Order: sequence, then C-alpha cells, then structure tokens
Amino acid sequence: MSRTILPTIACNLDADILSASLPLLEEGVVGALEWSFDALFRQDHVIPEWFYDLLTAYSNEGRLIGHGVFFSLFSGRLLPEQAAWLQRLKQLTRQYRFDHITEHFGFMTGSDFHKGAPMSVPYTSGTVAIGRDRLQRIQDAAQCPVGLENLAFAYSLDEVKRQGAFLEQLIEPVNGFIILDLHNVYCQLHNFNIPFEVLIQAYPLDRVREIHISGGSWETAVTDQSRSIRRDTHDGRVPESVFELLERTLPLCPQVKYVVMEQLGAGLQTEAAKIGFRNDFQQMQKITEQFLEHHPRMAAVPNNFLPEQSLPPGQIIEDEYLYGEQQILSYILEHAAGHAEAMEQLQHTALRNSVWDIEKWQPDMLETAIRIARKWK
Amino acid sequence: MKISKKVLGALVVGLAVQASSSSCDKVQTKPEKAKKVGTENPANQQPDTAYNCPACGMG
Repeated sequence: MSRTILPTIACNLDADILSASLPLLEEGVVGALEWSFDALFRQDHVIPEWFYDLLTAYSNEGRLIGHGVFFSLFSGRLLPEQAAWLQRLKQLTRQYRFDHITEHFGFMTGSDFHKGAPMSVPYTSGTVAIGRDRLQRIQDAAQCPVGLENLAFAYSLDEVKRQGAFLEQLIEPVNGFIILDLHNVYCQLHNFNIPFEVLIQAYPLDRVREIHISGGSWETAVTDQSRSIRRDTHDGRVPESVFELLERTLPLCPQVKYVVMEQLGAGLQTEAAKIGFRNDFQQMQKITEQFLEHHPRMAAVPNNFLPEQSLPPGQIIEDEYLYGEQQILSYILEHAAGHAEAMEQLQHTALRNSVWDIEKWQPDMLETAIRIARKWK
Repeated sequence: MKISKKVLGALVVGLAVQASSSSCDKVQTKPEKAKKVGTENPANQQPDTAYNCPACGMG
C-alpha cells in the first residue's frame, strides 16, 4: 500500500498566520490543516464565512484535523466547561469532517477554563483512569480517531522517561494515537541532557500518527547562569536541530500521516518572519518528500486508530483529592516569588511525600513552571 | 492540496478587511455573513483574532 504523509499547517483564525500561509495555500502545497477548534472563545465561537470556506475545503477532502487546547484532560473533577467543550465538539463534527481530534497531556493551571497552561500529573492508576475516561468522552463526541500530544514540560528526568509509557496506557482503550511534538522532545533533550536514542525509544512510536515541529526560545537557568532552559514558545523559526530530529524520527514512525508546522501569529508580524515561516514549511515538506521517495510503501499494516467497537462512556471518574491538589499547586505556581518559596510552600501541603514526587522536582524546572503558569494566568 | 480560486479570493478579501479594521482599531467591524459554530450567541463578532497557545506546556 502506498504511503501518504501530508505537510500540514496549524492554522487558526489569526490574520498573521493566515497571511503568512497564503502563498503556500495558493501554491497548493499545504496538504492538510490543523485547527484549534476551541480557541475561538473570544469571538463566542463565531467564524467568518471566508474562514469557514477554507476549513470546509479541507474538511471535504478528509484533510482537516482538530487540535484542542483547553479541555484539561487530567482535571480531577469533570467540570461543566468540559461538558460544554464536549457538546461543542459533537456539534462541530456535524459541520466538519475531522480526520482526527487531539488534545494535550496535562491539567490546566488557570482559575477558569480559558486561562493557565498544562502541567503534568503524577503517573498513577488513578490518573490513568481519569485520562482514559476523558479520552473516551472525546472519542464518543467526535466519533473519529483521537490522540494525545506529548508535553514539553516535566519537573524531573524520571517524569520525562516515563511519559511515553503513560501516554500509551492512556490511549490503549480507544485505540488512540499520539502526536509526537519534536520541539517538545528537543526541549526535553536539552533540559534534561538525555540522548535522543534513549528518549525517542521511550515513546510508543508505532502509535505516532502526527508529528509537530515548531520553534521556541531560550531562558537562563536561575540556579546556574551558564545553563539555559529551552521553552516551546512557538514564536520563532524551527531550529535546524529540530529538522534533523524530523529526519531521524520519520523512519521510526510507521503510521505517521501528518507532519505539522506550528507558529504563533505573534511571531509572524513582519514580512521577514512570514518568509521565514514559509521557508521552514518548504524545508519540512522537502524532508517529508525525500523520506517518501525512499519509503513509498507502508511499513506496517495501517492502523485506523478507531476502537474495535463503540465505547459509550461509563460513570464519570473523578478524584476530589487530585482536584484539590491541583488547585493548591496552581495557586502556588501562580503566586510564589520563585522556586525556593514555591518548594517551601509545597512542603506544607498534601503534595509533600506524595505521588507528586515533589522531592525530585528540579529547581530550574519548578522556576520554569512558575513562569509558564504566570504567563498564562 | 489545490484550493479553489473562489476560496482563496475570499480569504484574501477577509484578511484585508481584518487588517484594515485592526489597523484602524475598530472593534465593530463585522463580517458580512458569518457561520456560527455551536449554540452561543453570535452577537459578539469582534475582529480580535489574536490567539496565543499555552498548550504545549513550555510556552
């Protein structure tokens, strides 16, 4: 069976992204669109006709994929906003044909549904149960393949090494897939000084249906000024190292169908930045085409990433203790003056000597968590 | 994937309208016709399309 990998743009209702993408769309080289369908809350989920027509053009060809941002998969409590999110998704699937739907790993730190950033959770049987329950609800609402993206952020090396296996457990009941974000991998390789060969094998590569690439930024580590922390800020060009990761990763992922370039509109406001964006897309496209030239046939039996039978969600799984701990952690991350104060405060909470393993959290990563939580507060 | 000229043309016009409304700092410019997603009130159609993504977790 011949193989297809579609060069894709993460394309939201953002004038800068769309104007940067326009020449690529005119050229006919954008194979698919990834749309963050839940990011229109500022506009009350109303979209202009011309954007609707663009989405529909890709939807009609089965080349529209949905990428959720705000579901907060691991919130210990299933919130009314999550129920509304699921309902909206269900309505959208009547309007558009999504080839698949994805969300992010983690829980949102913000005080309301559209604030905060995703942070990781302890890897326990309880969090697996919550994650599986929520994924099942997404699958039930969308009635198409569902997947989860690996998270760039981690507090410790142990967490980095275990994330792939945890993702695999989560997606197993829905026969789901993962998005392997290579810039997130790049952040982990740098921040935790771990070899690519080791880290990449920790992910279920036969479950990768989508790959992301993007750019990011550097920040000086607070505990050691000679060290830097890589952040996945999506505001710059794709580093050459990430293109190299793409070349090395494609042969390892027999089911990959989409390779997606992500950049924030805020980083695309000058003509030079727009040209850079298009050059990066073309480089991504070239790498993909070269790979397909050498691997024109499927290397494995195609996985449709659908459950064998319909799985209507059962009783809601919630964990009030986990929810409470998430509230405490979010508050501390948003209000502590720095990592030392945050850790001191955490020592007086239920997170101490718990499954959260705060004793293993790296100070620089805790400081980064504080900066991220505050940025999106 | 080839996109029809009609869709591309509408995109060009839509972006131009957005750009001019943003540069003039108008907040009431509405698209001539809008497709509504979901069940929410469509009254609030502002051209604010700024979108920042915290989703990756290191943003």
